Amino acid sequence: MPDAAVEYSHVGYAYPVPGVDGTRAKEALRDVSLRVGVGERLGVLGPNGGGKSTLLKLTLGLLPVQQGDVRVFGMTPRDAARAGLIGYVPQRATCELAFPLSCRQVVRMGATLRAKWWEGVSDAHRAGAEQALALVGALDWAEAPIGRVSGGQFQRVMIARALAGGPRLLLLDEPTIGIDVAGQRQFADLLGRLHAELGLTVIVVSHDIRTVAAGCDHVACLSRTLHSHSTPEGLTPRVLAEVFRHDVAAVFGDVHVDAHAASACHDPSHAHSHPSARRSEPGAGREGGAL
Amino acid sequence: MTSTTLHYLSDPMLRALYLPGIAAGLALAALCAMLSVLVVLKRLAFVGQGVSHAAFGGVGLVVALGIGASASAAGTLGQFGVIFLFCLGAAVLVGVLAERGKTEADTAIGIVLVGSMALGAVLLRAAPRGVSWESFLFGDILSLAWADAALAWCVALGVGLLLVIVRRPLLFWAFDPVVARAAGVRCGVMNLLLMTLLALATVTAMKLAGVVLATALLVLPGAVALKLSSRWDRVLLASAGVAIAGVLGGLVLSFEADWPPGASMVCVLAAFFGVGAVWAIIQRT
Repeated sequence: MPDAAVEYSHVGYAYPVPGVDGTRAKEALRDVSLRVGVGERLGVLGPNGGGKSTLLKLTLGLLPVQQGDVRVFGMTPRDAARAGLIGYVPQRATCELAFPLSCRQVVRMGATLRAKWWEGVSDAHRAGAEQALALVGALDWAEAPIGRVSGGQFQRVMIARALAGGPRLLLLDEPTIGIDVAGQRQFADLLGRLHAELGLTVIVVSHDIRTVAAGCDHVACLSRTLHSHSTPEGLTPRVLAEVFRHDVAAVFGDVHVDAHAASACHDPSHAHSHPSARRSEPGAGREGGAL
Repeated sequence: MTSTTLHYLSDPMLRALYLPGIAAGLALAALCAMLSVLVVLKRLAFVGQGVSHAAFGGVGLVVALGIGASASAAGTLGQFGVIFLFCLGAAVLVGVLAERGKTEADTAIGIVLVGSMALGAVLLRAAPRGVSWESFLFGDILSLAWADAALAWCVALGVGLLLVIVRRPLLFWAFDPVVARAAGVRCGVMNLLLMTLLALATVTAMKLAGVVLATALLVLPGAVALKLSSRWDRVLLASAGVAIAGVLGGLVLSFEADWPPGASMVCVLAAFFGVGAVWAIIQRT
């Protein structure tokens, strides 16, 4: 069994964009090489349109690999998906919420998907679903109709469904969108529990720095190309400024962003928050907070 | 059950005429109950409408080619096969136009629907012998023979077995197609399978309910059941109960009022929907 859960080798991808003068290619990823170890929690951070979701779709086999190679536990992504090795929690509700299903039934769908057609819902399937519901803390509302739970509860049910299939790799796409700060903290705790109790490899794709910094062992910064791959402590203002420079430019116009640590700043015109205030923020005390 | 219905069923000669239709009607109820909930939840009612109207083109083709002119089992099977393939072709064409032809799905359905109806009208007009349009459009219980009833039951049992086999990936895909695809479910196969089953149900319903009203039988039982319950297993049971009651109640109404059977069944099912809607309002308040 390979010790890399996911391995991206010189991956490139471009979407065809139809135009008046024919179809042209819009580059989403260029020469991305990255290795995710077994049991690692990787956060993929980057701006909108930076290629995060494209990387996720390539990992799931939802897009064909155009350049380079993607291996999931040594297999092609499609083979790994069909073997049930990947659990996926999508960015937004892709479900038909009018279905008359309880949260428990939705989670059992994940547990029984690969059962033989002549088999009923076995005790093992039931136990797997209950364990997943318990792990995400959703037992209290497990009998509620799936269309009537809150956004945070719904997200937990989706994670439980992904876990109930017994995956070895869990992929989460923008898991904290629309969730308040308390919910984000609970999500980081949940990632920690999944890691501690199941030893899962987790890839979280997000443009939310707090989500990634608080719940992951490593962070890959992606804006079409891979800008950095290190621990959350490596999320320096300079790296963030580089990765999010298009977002900054969209707000402030075409500006030069001089990213530096507050401790290294000698310009009295720069306003810096008090160090005690920064300590409560993820990434605080690493290299200051000035952009 | 009132006098006319009892008379039809107690008289040996009349019973022989109507029993195949009743037997086919029960098979149709079983088929509708199985597919109707998915048709409603996947918002496929208009697709079903397109597929059922496409059957009219298939009927025109059958008449023009003289397939199954005799009332033999082979003739029945031949007719069924040609009309089914025509409907399936129409469903696939809708999919191709919508996905690859950059045409909006409802536009694609509208084009295939009217195109098939027009083709059917032209072919029936050119048919060498006089053929009644009304029986195809609104159904005719007297047009059903035991071969039709046997075929309807074979289709219902076959569809039931297939649904049992694919129930897990089908439900997963129907509920969440994006994650189903990521989980390795072959979504294209599931979509084609559902279209095939819709075409099969439509052709089975056609002789009894007619092409215009066949879709109603695929929509109303599920729509009523979803008004009555919010639990999956109860919805499926309610759909079965509503479909059986709708088909049998419709046939009784047809006998008593001398209405076309398809229209009678739809009227009964529509009345059930009204009751279900009121029930849902009462439950909410």
